[in-house]
Amino acid sequence: MNVELLTKSEVMAISGEEGNFTVVVKKDPRYVDMEKCIACGICAEKCPKKVDDPYNMGVSKRKAAYIKYGQTVPLKYAIDGENCIYFTKGKCRACEKYCPTGAINFHEKEVILPLNVGAVVLAPGFKPFDPTPYENFGYKRVPDVVTGLEYERLLSAGGPCLGHLTMPSTGREPRKIAWIQCVGSRDISRSSNGYCSTVCCMYAMKQALATAEHLSGGKLERTVFYMDIRTQNKEFERYYETAREKGVRFIRSRPHSVDPGHGGTGVQVEYVTEEGKPAVEDFDLLVLSIGMEPAQDVEKLAYLMDCRRDHYGFIATHPFDPAVSSRKGIYVAGAAQAPKAIPRSVTEASAAAAEAARSLSAAKASLTTEKTYPPERDISREPPRVGVFVCACGINISGTVDVNQLADYARNLPGVAFVENNMFTCSTDTQVLMAEKIREHNLNRIVVAACTPRTHEPLFQDTLRECGLNPYLLEMANIRNHNSWVHVGDPEKATVKARDQVRMAVAKAALNAPLEQPRVNVIQQAMVVGGGLAGMSAAINLADQGHQVALVEKSHRLGGVAWRLTETWNGLPVRPYLTELIHKTENHPLIKVYKNARIKTCKGSVGDFTSDVESGGRTRTLRYGAAVFATGAHEHEPREYLYGQDPRIMTHLQFDAEKREHPEGVEKASSVVFIQCVGSREPERPYCSRVCCTHTVHTAVKLKEMNPEMDVYVLNRDMRTYGEREDLYRKARERGVIFIRFTRAEKPRVLQEKGALLVEVQDPILQRPLKLPAEYLVLATAIVPNDINELVDLYKCGLNEDGFLNQAHPKLRPVDMPVDGLFLAGLCNYPKPIDEAISQGKAAAARAGVILSKNIMQLDAIKSYVTEKCDGCALCLDVCPYAAIRMEEHGSNGHTFRRVATDSALCKGCGLCESTCPKEGVLVHGFTLPQLKAQVDAALES
Amino acid sequence: MSTSFEPVIIGFLCNWCAYAGGDLAGVGRLQYPPNMRPIRVMCSGMVSPELVLHALKQGADGVMVMG
Amino acid sequence: MSRKTVGSVMVVGGGITGIQATLDLADSGYYVYLVEKSTGIGGVMSQLDKTFPTNDCAM
Repeated sequence: MNVELLTKSEVMAISGEEGNFTVVVKKDPRYVDMEKCIACGICAEKCPKKVDDPYNMGVSKRKAAYIKYGQTVPLKYAIDGENCIYFTKGKCRACEKYCPTGAINFHEKEVILPLNVGAVVLAPGFKPFDPTPYENFGYKRVPDVVTGLEYERLLSAGGPCLGHLTMPSTGREPRKIAWIQCVGSRDISRSSNGYCSTVCCMYAMKQALATAEHLSGGKLERTVFYMDIRTQNKEFERYYETAREKGVRFIRSRPHSVDPGHGGTGVQVEYVTEEGKPAVEDFDLLVLSIGMEPAQDVEKLAYLMDCRRDHYGFIATHPFDPAVSSRKGIYVAGAAQAPKAIPRSVTEASAAAAEAARSLSAAKASLTTEKTYPPERDISREPPRVGVFVCACGINISGTVDVNQLADYARNLPGVAFVENNMFTCSTDTQVLMAEKIREHNLNRIVVAACTPRTHEPLFQDTLRECGLNPYLLEMANIRNHNSWVHVGDPEKATVKARDQVRMAVAKAALNAPLEQPRVNVIQQAMVVGGGLAGMSAAINLADQGHQVALVEKSHRLGGVAWRLTETWNGLPVRPYLTELIHKTENHPLIKVYKNARIKTCKGSVGDFTSDVESGGRTRTLRYGAAVFATGAHEHEPREYLYGQDPRIMTHLQFDAEKREHPEGVEKASSVVFIQCVGSREPERPYCSRVCCTHTVHTAVKLKEMNPEMDVYVLNRDMRTYGEREDLYRKARERGVIFIRFTRAEKPRVLQEKGALLVEVQDPILQRPLKLPAEYLVLATAIVPNDINELVDLYKCGLNEDGFLNQAHPKLRPVDMPVDGLFLAGLCNYPKPIDEAISQGKAAAARAGVILSKNIMQLDAIKSYVTEKCDGCALCLDVCPYAAIRMEEHGSNGHTFRRVATDSALCKGCGLCESTCPKEGVLVHGFTLPQLKAQVDAALES
Repeated sequence: MSTSFEPVIIGFLCNWCAYAGGDLAGVGRLQYPPNMRPIRVMCSGMVSPELVLHALKQGADGVMVMG
Repeated sequence: MSRKTVGSVMVVGGGITGIQATLDLADSGYYVYLVEKSTGIGGVMSQLDKTFPTNDCAM
């Protein structure tokens, strides 16, 4: 309601300043009236012009009258003016003739809209790399070579193969598939993209594993040609292990040529094996794992907005202000800022929202509106008077289902007081008519027989509310998506089914009761747990948005592990920023810092939590509506590589301190050896610690700058300098840093010989052991989450197997915790560098801000409730996935009994309790056992 | 061989996946026999064995729980 | 010279990033214009068959 979606639109100009911009937007014609279009698809069906479908990467066709994809928002068709026969040749207009609602408008013109806004968030995304410059990889020359994104469409159930994978050349199922990584990434010879695109390793593995589900079974061979496998995100390393266990073959090699296979089908790939021998191998299909480039619009947008771009063309940001562009009031998020995957894009989107909300907090709620409704009518004493509205949806329903017969049938159903046929029940004018009929006939239950409640229930519920009816008195019968559209050839049986569906809906509607949406009075204050960079970033943003914040820190000072860091990967000193942030936090009028503090209790739920917090010998009771967890992590203490037995062996943070405090000693060293993955990617800690490769490479470059004569060796398993960090890796190699691979099976050995420290490692290229002298041996040790089991028990939130806090959804809700009202940020969630920790802190502030900006939170009414029949057997307690049920003792005059109680703020309405309870002691509103049985009985009546 | 037998199958469809999948089948015009009577539930875990038995007892020829 | 602060935001790009920023801002009291160059929102993510690790359909 407070969003205006402008499709087919682009920004033309901007003027003004932070807090008050005027942005000129050009909205191109769609040639379809969005008010009238009902997305029936007849225009596309009748349109005679076929064009390559860009949505399917051109591997299939669509019409010039089209919809982008089945679930597009807004679900409205459009005419592609560049290809439409009427626009190109002056004749046709078939769509206009057949459109049942008269929605086609060939006279529509572009519109110029000047819009007044306080801030701008840029999220123009990326462009998939076009691999045509790699002639040797055969793209467009060999039919069975496709890009990673084309392959996604080939796999998709909504794509050109309907989810059943076939070879483009023959239409047969492929049995042997290969992927080539880093196409258009980490390459400055054939592309200018020196960076790592960060997502391709994972998507190639996902595709390799998903492929089996898209074939009819039988033999399948999958091979990935790679340079380094970069699975540095949460749970990704495990996925890599799974891929290997499931038989995906990983070959560290870059194929040099690709040709058509025998008889013109399939692909022949030539490469050099890891042992240095030439090899030729045939595959049925080759997927090029293409990387990301800044979208075309990025250049134009950045120019218009006067935002600086980096040397690769991505919109530049500052590591300490990761969502802020170089122009005040303009924010940036997602792959336009640097190549990145979905979770980080979503996180940054929230961080950008946090920045905009902070900047505009003075004008908060000044332009948004809330709809008001008349008071609800009391229907408790009325017998059911059901009104049935039967939609024809143009011919979408009426073309298959006899809607008039259906309406006649509905009139004779028990409790039905009124029935009407509509051409389009969802249209705006029908809503007005519906409201009139509801009032005129004193209807108190409404059945709409039309399309799916998943998209249209809110619309009809709104109409009910406008006439003073509780929205839960509505029931829908989905006679379109689940009937007329899927039984096109069988109108008779479809009509029988529609009758059954309407009868089922009427039977259930008669049992529908008004439901009250639970309301929570929101405590508009926040708690932040942990005072490191992420926690302080969250606290400051929340306070700048106008909320009181309690920051609870376990130790005696703020700053956390950042005190031990010297520089960011792009060379910015950490200390000055850290001290400034601490100063800001401690002096912010809305932030109260509790040090040496411990949270002892937690009661309540989203919107209204209460905790006892002990700090400095005193216990205070704090109330808050939302909390951000930023409890941090620490360096793992190694047991391997003689650590602790020789002062020359240090962890990377210890070496940082050595370099800071005794630079003269370090500078004189003639040889420094780094060992990577110390404690990471091991059976007991099977995750990648994400930051160590970059940290090592950054340090190695610094050492070479201090003393170019120094020998610097980096012993590694894969170098994971993702994104633009790849620049550092290239720089290190240019400066002469020597990188040597080892495997988990064959690790380096550390020896002390005659007072000298030596590292022995098998060189995979020379195929013989090397002994490297080390004046310093630096161990890139794992990052281990701090122990927060006490908090986890209090808040009933979850850790993953490695002890990191879980997010509600790995892609779409990366800073929300599974418990509503709790958010997370920083290292407690997974190892990450400073910019990402700050970004997550701000994102958590934005997400918490959504809750805290409301006085009252209204929850959905589909929740469990307890009936008189409950005898306290407690079977439901164990099955509830949300811990929303508790046991209560009741009683008076010495008679006590037990009965469960449900917490509507925690309940998600899944009904596991309902199906477990043997006696209807706990039910879910709107889906009670009697209601479900009524539907079953009605279905089987005929 | 009788062709006139038309089984009635009660389908319990989870709102978040199977029901949404049914909607998409419609958008994609994927055709299937008209014998299933869909009942939307908030989670397939909401469907108790009792409900399944009830449906069979009332004469359903089959019950599908999809989630 | 400070002009009046305006309580609305423009989000440019209707992919998953733009959508998230839009929802967060609209839900915290700011009016949002979401500007998308194509006919519908969803971006590249909607083109993906499945996403790791839940293997949910990207829709």
